[in-house]
Amino acid sequence: MESITSYITDLGAAVALPFIIFVFALVLRQGAGDSLRAALKVGIGFIGINLVIGLLANVVGPAARAMAENFGIELTVLDVGWPASAAIAFGTQVGALAIPVGLVVNVVMLGIGLTRTLDIDLWNYWHIAFSGALVAVATGSTIAGVAAAAVHMVIILALADWSQPLIEDYYGFDNVSLPHGTSVAYAVFAIPMNALFERIPGLRDWRADPESIQQRFGVLGESTVLGAVLGLIIGILGYGFDDPRADSIAILALAINLAAAMYLLPKMVAVLMEALIPISEGAQSLVRKRFPGRTVYIGLDSAIAIGAPAVIAVSLLLVPITLLLAVVLPGNRVLPLVDLATIPFIVCIMVPIFKGNLIRSLIGGTVAMAATLYISTGLAAMVTETSASVGFDSGEGATEISSLVDGGNPLSGLIVLAGRMGWAGLAILAVLGVAFAYLIKSMVSRRAEVEEEPAL
Amino acid sequence: MKRVLIVCGTGVATSTVVADKVRKHLAAVGIEAKIEQTKVTELHRGAKGYDLVVATTQVPASVDAPVVKGLSFLTGMGVEETLAEIEQKLSD
Repeated sequence: MESITSYITDLGAAVALPFIIFVFALVLRQGAGDSLRAALKVGIGFIGINLVIGLLANVVGPAARAMAENFGIELTVLDVGWPASAAIAFGTQVGALAIPVGLVVNVVMLGIGLTRTLDIDLWNYWHIAFSGALVAVATGSTIAGVAAAAVHMVIILALADWSQPLIEDYYGFDNVSLPHGTSVAYAVFAIPMNALFERIPGLRDWRADPESIQQRFGVLGESTVLGAVLGLIIGILGYGFDDPRADSIAILALAINLAAAMYLLPKMVAVLMEALIPISEGAQSLVRKRFPGRTVYIGLDSAIAIGAPAVIAVSLLLVPITLLLAVVLPGNRVLPLVDLATIPFIVCIMVPIFKGNLIRSLIGGTVAMAATLYISTGLAAMVTETSASVGFDSGEGATEISSLVDGGNPLSGLIVLAGRMGWAGLAILAVLGVAFAYLIKSMVSRRAEVEEEPAL
Repeated sequence: MKRVLIVCGTGVATSTVVADKVRKHLAAVGIEAKIEQTKVTELHRGAKGYDLVVATTQVPASVDAPVVKGLSFLTGMGVEETLAEIEQKLSD
C-alpha cells in the first residue's frame, strides 16, 4: 500500500491528475478521445504553472532576499497567487476528492433544506480543496482534510444564501448567489464594520466617484504594467545601483520577468480550465436533473461581479495600499505579487454590504487586506510544504511561497486552525458550521415570508 | 474575419466557458471569428478593434463596441437567445 502511495507521490500531480481526469471524463460519458485530450491538457496546464512558479521563485526570490538584507524589509514569502493556489489544491489527494465531496454536501444540504444554493461553479471547489489540503498536511491525514473541505463547503453555502439578496439588489442578478470561497469569506469583516460606520456621522455621508478613479488609476489593473513596475521597484531596492552595468541588467530583467509571470500564470490556468469544461458540464447536468424546477439560487463564480465600477475603483486603490501595508505591518513576511490582480474578488461582496460607498469600502478593504497578509504569513510554511508535495518547484534557495487568495483567506485560516487541533477541533468546527447554516436558513426563510406577503 | 472579445473578472474562469461556447456556435453557423479573452480591469481604455464584446460582468463605459451579456452561458438559461443575439450583431 505504502509503495503505491509513494509511487503516486513521485509521479507528481502533473502526471497523476490526468489519469484521474480521464476516468472522471469517461464516467461522465465524454468519449475516450475527448477524455484523453482533456486529461492531457490538465497535465499541460500543470507543467505550465510549474514553469511560471519556478520563474517567479528563481527571479524574484533572490531580489526579495537582497531587499531584506539591504533595508530590513523582510518580505521573503512570494505571493504566487490564486492560479498556483488552485493548481496546488487540485493536485493533492484531497483535491482529487473535493469536487465529488463538495457536490454531495451541496446536494444533501439542498435535500434537507439547509441551503437554497446549487453551486454549479465546480472550478471554484478549489477553495475547499485548498483548506482541506492544508489540513491534510497539518494532521497527516487525508480523511481529516476531506472532512475539513466538507465543513468549508457548508459554511460557504450558508454565506452565499445569506448574501444573495445583496447580490441581487446591487448587481441585478436574479436567483444567482455567489458561493465563491474568497468573496463570501470577507462578508464576515464587512458586516460588523458597516454597522460601526453607520454610527460615525462624518463617514456616513462621505462619498467618492468610482468612474473617475477607474479612469485615473486604471493602469494598476493591467497585470503586465503592474508586474513591470513592481519588478523595477523590487529590483532597485534589492540590487541598488553600485554597479550600473550589472545592476541595470538585473533590474530590467526582473521587471520583464515579473510582468511575464503575472501575465502567464492565469493563461496556464486557462489551459487547465478548458480541459475541465466538459467534465464540469457533465456533472452540472447530472445535478440539475435531480432538482428540476425547484426554487434554488444558482451558485456562480463571483468573476461576474468584478466589473462593477465601485468594485474596480476600490480594488485599484487597494493595490498601493496593500503594498504599503506589506512593508509597514510588523511581522508580515508576504511580498504581494500575483494576487494584487485578485483583490476584486476579496472586495466584491464587501462593496454591496457597504452599499457601494467607496470610502467605507476602502477602509473595510484596508482592514481586510491587513488581516489577509497576516493569515498568509501564518500559512506560508504549510502552503510551501503542500506545494512541494504536488511536485511544484519553488526554485533555488528554498523560497517560501504563499498567496493572498486563498493563502490569506480568513475562512482557510479558521479551518486550518481547527484542523491543527486535530479531530476535536474539526468536530467543533463542523457543529458550529452546521449551526451557522441552520441559523442562516431560518433567516432566509423569514426573509422569503416577508417578501411573499402581499403589499397593502 | 470578425474579432470577438470575451470578458470576465479574471479573463480565465467564466470567460473560458463562454469562449468555448461562442467559438463552437460560430463555427457551426459558419461565421469566421477570432475569439480572445481578457479581464475587465484591462478594459479601462476601451476595446479598440473588436466587432463584439461578450461579457459576464459589467464593462466600463469606455467600451464602444456592441456588448452582449453572457451570463446565460453560466446559468444555462437563455443560451439560445444569447447565441442568436451574438450571431445577429456579428452579421450587422
